[in-house]
Amino acid sequence: MKGAILKVTENVANPIINFLEKGLDKKCFDAVLIPVKVPVGNSFAWVLIQNKSLLEDANPLPPVMPVQGAKALSSITRMGKTNKKIAAIMRPCEVRAAVELSKLEQVNLENIFLISIDCPGVLPLKDYLERPEEAMDKFNEILLGACPERSRRAQNDIEWGNESTRPACQVCDKFVGTDLGFCQSDLHIGILGTKDKNIFLIPNNEKGKSILNKMDIEAEKSMDNWEKKAKELMEVRKKKKKEVQERLKFKVMGIDNLLDVFSNCINCHNCRSACPICYCRQCYFESEKMKLPSDDYLMRAKSKGALRFLPDTLLFHLGRMTHMSLSCVGCGACEDACPMSIDVAQIFSFVADNSQGLFNYIPGKNAEEPLSLRIYKEDEFHEVET
Amino acid sequence: MDNGNILVIGAGVAGINASLSLADSGRKVYLVEQTSYIGGTVIKFEKVFSNMECATCMVAPKQQELLAKENIELFTISEVLKVEGSLGNFVVKVKKKARYVDLKACIGCSACFEPCPVSVKNEFEEGLSERKAIYIPCPGALPNIPAIDTENCVRFNGKDCKLCKEACMFEAIDFEQKDEEIELKVGAIVVATGFSSFDPKEIPKYGYKKFSDVYSALEFERMFASNGPTTGEIKLRNGESPKSVAIVHCVGREEKGYCSAICCMNSLKFVHYLKEKLPDVKISEFCSDLCIPGKSYEKFYEQTKTMGVDIIRFEDIEIKEEGKGISVKYKTDTKGSSLPVDMVILSTAIEPKKDASKLAKILGISQDEHGFFAEKHSEIASVDTSTEGIFIVGCAQDPKDIQNSVAQSEAAVGKILSRGT
Amino acid sequence: MVEKIGVYVCECGPNIADNVDIDKVMETISSLPGVEVVERHKLLCSQNGKKFLKESIQEHGLTRIVVAACSPKQHEVTFMKVCEEAGINPYLFQLTNIREQCAWIITDKELATERAIRYIRAALRRVPFHRDLAKKEIETNPDVLVIGGGIAGMEASLLLAGGDRKIYLIEKTDVLGGKVKELDKLLPRMESSLNIISQKIQEVEQSEDIKVYTKSEVEEVLGFLGNFVVKVKIGENKELELRVGAIVVATGFSMFDLKQLPRYGYGQYDNVYTALEFEKMNIDGKILLKDGKPPKSIGIIHCVGREERGYCSGVCCMYCLKFANYIKSKLPDADVSEFYQELSIPGKAHQKFYEDTKAKGVNFIRYDEVEVMDKGIKYKTESGEEKTSSVDMVVLAPAIEPSGDTGKLAEMLRVSQGDGGFFQEEHPKLAPVSTSMEGIFIAGCTQGPKNIPESIVQAQAVAGRILSSLIPGKKLELEVKTSEISEALCIGCQTCLEVCTYGAIYFDEMKRVSVVNEVLCRGCGNCVGSCPSGAASVKHFTTTQLHQEVVEALR
Repeated sequence: MKGAILKVTENVANPIINFLEKGLDKKCFDAVLIPVKVPVGNSFAWVLIQNKSLLEDANPLPPVMPVQGAKALSSITRMGKTNKKIAAIMRPCEVRAAVELSKLEQVNLENIFLISIDCPGVLPLKDYLERPEEAMDKFNEILLGACPERSRRAQNDIEWGNESTRPACQVCDKFVGTDLGFCQSDLHIGILGTKDKNIFLIPNNEKGKSILNKMDIEAEKSMDNWEKKAKELMEVRKKKKKEVQERLKFKVMGIDNLLDVFSNCINCHNCRSACPICYCRQCYFESEKMKLPSDDYLMRAKSKGALRFLPDTLLFHLGRMTHMSLSCVGCGACEDACPMSIDVAQIFSFVADNSQGLFNYIPGKNAEEPLSLRIYKEDEFHEVET
Repeated sequence: MDNGNILVIGAGVAGINASLSLADSGRKVYLVEQTSYIGGTVIKFEKVFSNMECATCMVAPKQQELLAKENIELFTISEVLKVEGSLGNFVVKVKKKARYVDLKACIGCSACFEPCPVSVKNEFEEGLSERKAIYIPCPGALPNIPAIDTENCVRFNGKDCKLCKEACMFEAIDFEQKDEEIELKVGAIVVATGFSSFDPKEIPKYGYKKFSDVYSALEFERMFASNGPTTGEIKLRNGESPKSVAIVHCVGREEKGYCSAICCMNSLKFVHYLKEKLPDVKISEFCSDLCIPGKSYEKFYEQTKTMGVDIIRFEDIEIKEEGKGISVKYKTDTKGSSLPVDMVILSTAIEPKKDASKLAKILGISQDEHGFFAEKHSEIASVDTSTEGIFIVGCAQDPKDIQNSVAQSEAAVGKILSRGT
Repeated sequence: MVEKIGVYVCECGPNIADNVDIDKVMETISSLPGVEVVERHKLLCSQNGKKFLKESIQEHGLTRIVVAACSPKQHEVTFMKVCEEAGINPYLFQLTNIREQCAWIITDKELATERAIRYIRAALRRVPFHRDLAKKEIETNPDVLVIGGGIAGMEASLLLAGGDRKIYLIEKTDVLGGKVKELDKLLPRMESSLNIISQKIQEVEQSEDIKVYTKSEVEEVLGFLGNFVVKVKIGENKELELRVGAIVVATGFSMFDLKQLPRYGYGQYDNVYTALEFEKMNIDGKILLKDGKPPKSIGIIHCVGREERGYCSGVCCMYCLKFANYIKSKLPDADVSEFYQELSIPGKAHQKFYEDTKAKGVNFIRYDEVEVMDKGIKYKTESGEEKTSSVDMVVLAPAIEPSGDTGKLAEMLRVSQGDGGFFQEEHPKLAPVSTSMEGIFIAGCTQGPKNIPESIVQAQAVAGRILSSLIPGKKLELEVKTSEISEALCIGCQTCLEVCTYGAIYFDEMKRVSVVNEVLCRGCGNCVGSCPSGAASVKHFTTTQLHQEVVEALR
């Protein structure tokens, strides 16, 4: 694997911002879609920047993910391709969601440069908003964990994906934006495995190479260090994921367990609104079809003895699961959005891993690979035959 | 003005198809069918090659459309007695035999079968099962209205039996019905009378009717049919499942002097039938030349080969007794051999309908050397006959598969509507 | 508005009455909301029953009807007609099956009664969600475009031309006649091919209704049955726009390219000819070697390219036998050998031709593998023996394949290609000359390899289809239960476009939503099943209707 090396000046963000400024100067792209800290408050929002000077406030790697990047990209390109070129700086799970949505024509990638960054995970939104400064420090520590030499503390105990990040992030094994992470950005920015103050630019395809070419950046340096570190960390994550899912399996197996898991649910459907993949204009569970006459409920109450309201909570989750699990990228946005702290992302990722395994399909890996349910194979799933 | 009405003889798949298209164009169609049901030979099949589609399900919509069509008048259990006149002005005499069941009153509930004291071999099932004297040929037959077979009904043989009438809640059974002779005026005639199957008894070496487990292709079709005598179970006469089956191609080809075109594919289809029900059965296909023309058939052959079948090219063949069972004694171009099997299926040739010559005389059209109706010109006018206004379609003209039969039926429609007869 | 629903329970003589407690059914049903009237009848499908039903509907001013009787297959149409006569839209009626799916299969009367009630309740729950559906008709253009001026295209044109419609016959080359024109004699009677084809060409050229465009090609096809708009390119730079109601594709075939298979020595050795080259030689009158001498021995090789193409072309065996006859009549002493694999000579007239040919002293050699060498043919028999036969001329019978522009045309016409790349017929048995695109028909070798009589039959069949369905002055009745796609719910993913076999869905680029063309839609529901966002539904089978019915059935 070959790439270019950028020098880090103050922090990891600086060289990236400089790179983007240069990209705008050289007309590699005409605008940048990037998280920017909101002026009042502590959160971050996606901002489409055309004025170079405004890039100063941008943070390519914010500590939280209030809105999944693919949703932002979808709002921009849903009605068709953009006439100007946009560089979108996103986390790998956001890139994968964007690629997945492009298969459903919800994102048009034609004039978009997808630029991904090694993702250290994000902090739970709630934790961050409670004590923003403390959380920011914590996040910076994690970030520095990528390059042990630069950390102020002894590094061994600080691994990426430590306990302060979201549970979904802690078990994510697709946190890099190259083939290694089953992700197809055009250009990936590596921050793992740097010995001195460097970050890496890794073009994944011709589109990515063309940006570097235009900026006269040679991408001929070996990326072995980055790759080695990424692979190491990936192994750790995979192991952890396996352990976590092994435990989760018993928690969610069977209808009774599921009822328990979702018993806190208040039917707010925030998970659905936050999900980048939930592409429906109107959710079936919010449609007229789910509005039943009172007699029906009385009848159900009669047959069960009692009926909980709001109704059909578990049905909603199961319905959503069957609907989107083949495209679920495991970004964790749903769990962040849950006011009742249900492990919704972990459960969905677990189911998604299994259902995607059946089709040997990894969402967002490749824009050319058709959606599993959109192709017909004559010879499959003999186990469901009678 | 010339008469625009059309007579179609034979309600098999070709006749039905021609009638529907002609009716769609606004013509009045008289459809005369010899038997009590419509659908012809195709509805005896469980599945058709090469897409293995369910045959009855395939034809049922057409049958139902036909029965519901306002400008098609269907005469079942009927035959054409006399035809006079010429293109545009034929006068046809049809004998409409009594069904003894009122088509309008009967709802097809089948309550009348049970009490009938008569039991005879069911010819629709190739004699593999029995039926009553009031009967429908098989479950699902259309129109779903029974008929009384006066040859076997005891009432029509001197006894005062009215058990069926008593069982009917709809007063649909009418012993007073009489055969009628009807005169029709039509402008053109489509002959779609289909074919008969060669009787393998004519060639003793096949051991047909001598050995109990030697079956004709149609017998095997009915055995596999889910609405047939065994409800689809493939069984030997002793009730056991066969462990080995031989399928013999070209039965009667030499005697008839032509290749019947569909038997190779039909025989390959039997491999699918057998393997579906008896995955471990050993199958040997004895063929001479494989005749599987067309874009889709070789694919089917290749697929069939992967299911596990021995394909043996024979020059001579004989079914013999061996111990308690039977064996196929055969000669290839290099050696002679013998193969003991539990069951033999004979792929019989297609031959002209038994009464083809009678109909040819009535219609005033000629037959070829084999007895099929002769077309006007084998290359460029295969649905026309020497008599203008009389058309021949389907296997009445030449052995062919369903696709080509249907195409010919549409071709006759094209000819009729084009000349505006 | 509150619906006034009438429920009619048919006793079907003893069929339902014996096994379902109809009194109990009526009692239970009559207390349900919306039910205006519940009646029973001995046999609703009888004249009496229909009259009763009609009068009852009118008397009670019903807005929805539920009939509990037999299978919809049996009498749905019957009762829909009654509704129409009673002045109520027939789609506001529902037939629920308490005979086949209840009385006939459940032996316990109590259970059957309970089940019947359940079915009727489900129907009752469904009908308020039914909508008036109206029959629609469109004007049609009876004119026809025929693509391909071979024997099939000409035959179709001639039959279609009857004075009341115009036929446009488009031919790519500069002459009519197609491949038949390149043949010397026709099987099995060995008549001159030229005589027959010339007569057809003359008839076509003399017909006032047929307009022939040679050196022409179809450029673009828009529209649908009854209303196609076709752009045709004539010669180098002329363009023409035609409006037609139907299109016949009769573009024939190409011969398998022998250069792909060097083992046949074509183009490598002298005196190795293709079937059409050999026909040409016979049309010209003499069978001669390159050096001008008559050949002493000729090998005719069957099944060239069969394995590669994956199908038997069906016609080669017979014309190879014809070639032996050509040779025997011109060079009686020449040695002729037919190298074949499987002799495919179906039909009543062909075996005799084969036997007659054999009797003329033609050798028949079955090969397993074959290779053409300089002045000889090397072959392996089925039993594995390797042999060589010396010949001074070789004639090859190459497989028939779809003509070169089939792919382009298929895309333009939105008709799919099936086995072997030939045009896919609508149904391999029952609809061999129509396609999944209504109004587009196929005839001859464009549908699959076939001989001349079969091609002509297909051409006549196409004429039959068109003459019986596209009648001048007659409007076209459209499918009522078509699909519809909600603009509000469609996410624009275009999955439905891929699964629609009838090409009935197009994409509105401005609104970014899929739209159904009701003229082409046949309501199969493929789009509904594949729509990921629940935007597609089929009228009369909407999700709401089904949902309501199922919810109630499972209560």
